[in-house]
Amino acid sequence: MRLALLLIAAVLFGTPALAADLTVSVRDSAGRPVRDAVITVVPASGVPRGPIRFNWPLRVAQQDLQFDPYVLIVPVGGTVSFPNLDRVRHHVYSFSRGNRFEIELYGRDQTRTHAFTSAGVAALGCNIHDQMLAYIKVVDTPWAAKTGPTGDVVVTGLPTGGATLRVWHPRLSGRGNEIATVFTVTNGANRQAISGNFSAAAAVR
Amino acid sequence: MTMIRFRRLQTRLTVLYMGLFGFALLLVAIAVVTAVTRSAQTVVRGELSASGAVYNQIWAARSGQLRQGASVLAQDYGFREAVATNDEATVRSALDNLRARQKVDGAMIVGVDGYVTAAGLNPDEEAINTLFTGLESGKIDAGVLAIGDQPYQAVAAPIMAPVLIGWVVFVEHLDQSQMKNLEQLSAIPLSATVMTRSAVGWRDMAGGPSTVSATIDSQMKAEEAHPVTAATPDGPTMVLARPLPSFDDKSSAVLVLNYPLSRAMKPYQSLFIALAGIGLAGLGILMAGTWMLARGLTRPISALDDAVHRLQQGEHAEVAVTSTDEIGRLASSFNVMAGDIRDREARLTHMALHDQETGLPNRLSLERGAGNTPGAYVALIGVDRFEIVRNAIGYDSMAQLLAALGGRLAGLTEGSSIARVGGALGLVFQASDDAEALEIMAQTCEAAETPVKINGATVDVSLSAGLARAGKTMSSVDSAVDRAAIALDQTRAARRRCSMFDAGSYGDPGGNLSLISELMTAVQNGEVWVAYQPKYDLRADAINGCEALMRWRHPRRGFVSPDLFIGMAEETGHIRPLTEWVIRQAIEDQRALAAAGHILTVSVNISGRLLSDEEFAAFALNEVATSGADLCFEITETAVIDNPEIALGIIDRFAAAGIGVSIDDYGSGLSSLAYLKRIRADELKIDKAFVLSLDESSRDALLVKSTIDLAHSLGLKVVAEGVETPTALALLRGMGCDVAQGYLIGKPVALQDLVERLTAPVEGAAVAAA
Repeated sequence: MRLALLLIAAVLFGTPALAADLTVSVRDSAGRPVRDAVITVVPASGVPRGPIRFNWPLRVAQQDLQFDPYVLIVPVGGTVSFPNLDRVRHHVYSFSRGNRFEIELYGRDQTRTHAFTSAGVAALGCNIHDQMLAYIKVVDTPWAAKTGPTGDVVVTGLPTGGATLRVWHPRLSGRGNEIATVFTVTNGANRQAISGNFSAAAAVR
Repeated sequence: MTMIRFRRLQTRLTVLYMGLFGFALLLVAIAVVTAVTRSAQTVVRGELSASGAVYNQIWAARSGQLRQGASVLAQDYGFREAVATNDEATVRSALDNLRARQKVDGAMIVGVDGYVTAAGLNPDEEAINTLFTGLESGKIDAGVLAIGDQPYQAVAAPIMAPVLIGWVVFVEHLDQSQMKNLEQLSAIPLSATVMTRSAVGWRDMAGGPSTVSATIDSQMKAEEAHPVTAATPDGPTMVLARPLPSFDDKSSAVLVLNYPLSRAMKPYQSLFIALAGIGLAGLGILMAGTWMLARGLTRPISALDDAVHRLQQGEHAEVAVTSTDEIGRLASSFNVMAGDIRDREARLTHMALHDQETGLPNRLSLERGAGNTPGAYVALIGVDRFEIVRNAIGYDSMAQLLAALGGRLAGLTEGSSIARVGGALGLVFQASDDAEALEIMAQTCEAAETPVKINGATVDVSLSAGLARAGKTMSSVDSAVDRAAIALDQTRAARRRCSMFDAGSYGDPGGNLSLISELMTAVQNGEVWVAYQPKYDLRADAINGCEALMRWRHPRRGFVSPDLFIGMAEETGHIRPLTEWVIRQAIEDQRALAAAGHILTVSVNISGRLLSDEEFAAFALNEVATSGADLCFEITETAVIDNPEIALGIIDRFAAAGIGVSIDDYGSGLSSLAYLKRIRADELKIDKAFVLSLDESSRDALLVKSTIDLAHSLGLKVVAEGVETPTALALLRGMGCDVAQGYLIGKPVALQDLVERLTAPVEGAAVAAA
């Protein structure tokens, strides 16, 4: 479904006349595909000024006592809506540094929003339902995407030249649950394979 | 194995029973002690296991309780916010608040970054490291944590905001008071303690070293912990070590429950004491009982044993019959047997000491009497002409006569015991010296000589007595009774009334007896030799014969009288070989004489006993026939009387064979003209008794003269023996005697001397001159 949305977005917004694409494959240490890994690419030339827009809705729904999606990529300054699709009420909060917020008890079909102003990770919890957990990855680059069930993701329109590729996942072992690779983007299709240890605990403050 | 030997049956029985009972008792005691000990151990073991399980529950409950409290805090939104935002003051106050509310010793916040906020206690760096490592591993959230050297129970609850940002940790000191609760829960008064392992080994809650480290180690290795017995300073102790969860995987913690077995056995102590008491009492009763029973059993046996010993010693032996059982029957049988033996013995003794015919004491009795009174005199009083009287009146009457005489003598000798010794009566009496003894006995005999009435008939008796002094003598006859018997013989021979034993005239027959055994050896050794006494022919005025006479020079005794040893040889049957030897020797010597130029007839004395011996006759005839010797056999006139028919036949055969026959010692015996007529003799030798007194007694001369005439008229040559004086020789020559023999002519000498004598011309002249 997410893949479909992605494809639709790609078709709708088109691709700027930028030449390079990057396919990143994320695998765990056993070689299994890892989904919900967030890929960010920061070219050495820097990121373009201006607001960043992604082709997916900035929205974390609460449905069936779960957050959906589990991982959401949000540009800096992006406002995320938190619609409650359940019959019960939720109390959504995040104590994550820079992105602290709290949406006190609200009911079905009510939507609250919060603007995420600093890049980083916000761990979302519900004060009522301990099992509810989601992450909002606030990024400051337009080249960001998360892996699907195949563990692969494609980032398009990259400028050629040096770039830093970062992979974040709540269970990825590494400082801030992140590992980084510096590589050179060439014209056409680029491919990066990332494998890591995905059994660590989320380190979010 | 050597069996122990008991001197007494009683001891043996007692020891045996005691041993058996003691063994049984020992088995029972072992069984009881084992069962009780095992049961006690089972109880303790079960209780320890149960207590261990209970403590697990307690532990879990307490952990749950602490976790509950920690969780309450950890889940509090505000608290989480405070932690997440590093609001340390708020966090600390919240910890204090909850610590007070939950009544725990300490509370901590351990951040995922390892940052610790503590309240109520001040954990050291090592404890924090241990705690953090354990929590971060995610494997443990409740367990023992050593802070300093003290064990604590620590329970952690995670702080999710919403991801894990740290843990709330509640810590409670594991002290003895907490253990008390567990100890009180147990049915037995066990002691519980939590031990932690340090670099130096297990240590208890107070930090002291454990005394059962090895046991804990072995139990920790085991799959499942079972109570085991360990040796401790307090004695054997049942120990159960259950592992407790620990934050430090290198430093384990255990709950150690122990229970000294001595305490477990304490309730049974009184039982053991009672058991031992009952056992000892039983042993004592059994010992006493067995002792008494065995005594009852063995006392009659001991009495029998003693009685048998007494009986053996010849004493009076009788045992009391105390029961009707086997032993009682044995005792009465023994009494009967002992009585029988006594009676029989008395009978035997009586028989041994009494004469059956007369009922008088016998010789043995008399000898005992003589032996018991040394210095006394033994008298044997004999009935003269005993055989004649006995033949006249019969054996039975003779016995009655002796019995009557015995009674009479007893009356005369103031009731002395009169014994029968053969045909004589013996008694022992006291006298101051021999003369008095002879006097007493002479009077006694005289007084007893009145006629005796037997079966209505009167028998005259005359009595003689022989006396001997009892006790040791120089004589060869040891027994006084024997001496008295000899004395009686001597009395009779001397035709006296009464005489003392005369050792001198009796000689030494016993000693002589040993001579016989030596005689034949002496013959071979050359101790016995043949002497020759020349015979002088008065008509030819020459020595033309000699008599072979045996001589014996004994190495110890010296010269042994031929009368003695020849007489004994006759009595003991040795005369024949002796005579045969003499005949051979005579033949040999005659040959030697002939070689020296002297032709002599050799006379050999032949015992009367050999005249009825056909084998001897055959030997003699054969010897003479083969050698052609000129022998003359001198036969004592009285000797032929014994067995006339055979003797005369043999003499005839000798005569027929050319052997001269001479009638020796004529006139000394009861000379019978009838025999003189029947014996085909060549020669008559007049006994020297007549010849020796020839020149003194005209009566003897007359006898010799008439004997010579008688012999001549019968065609016999006459030899006179015992010619010692020239007068006698002259008289004999005048009487017409043919041959003279005696010291005047020549003593018996050895062959060599005889040869010299015959060769000397002087001698013959001397005799011829006489």
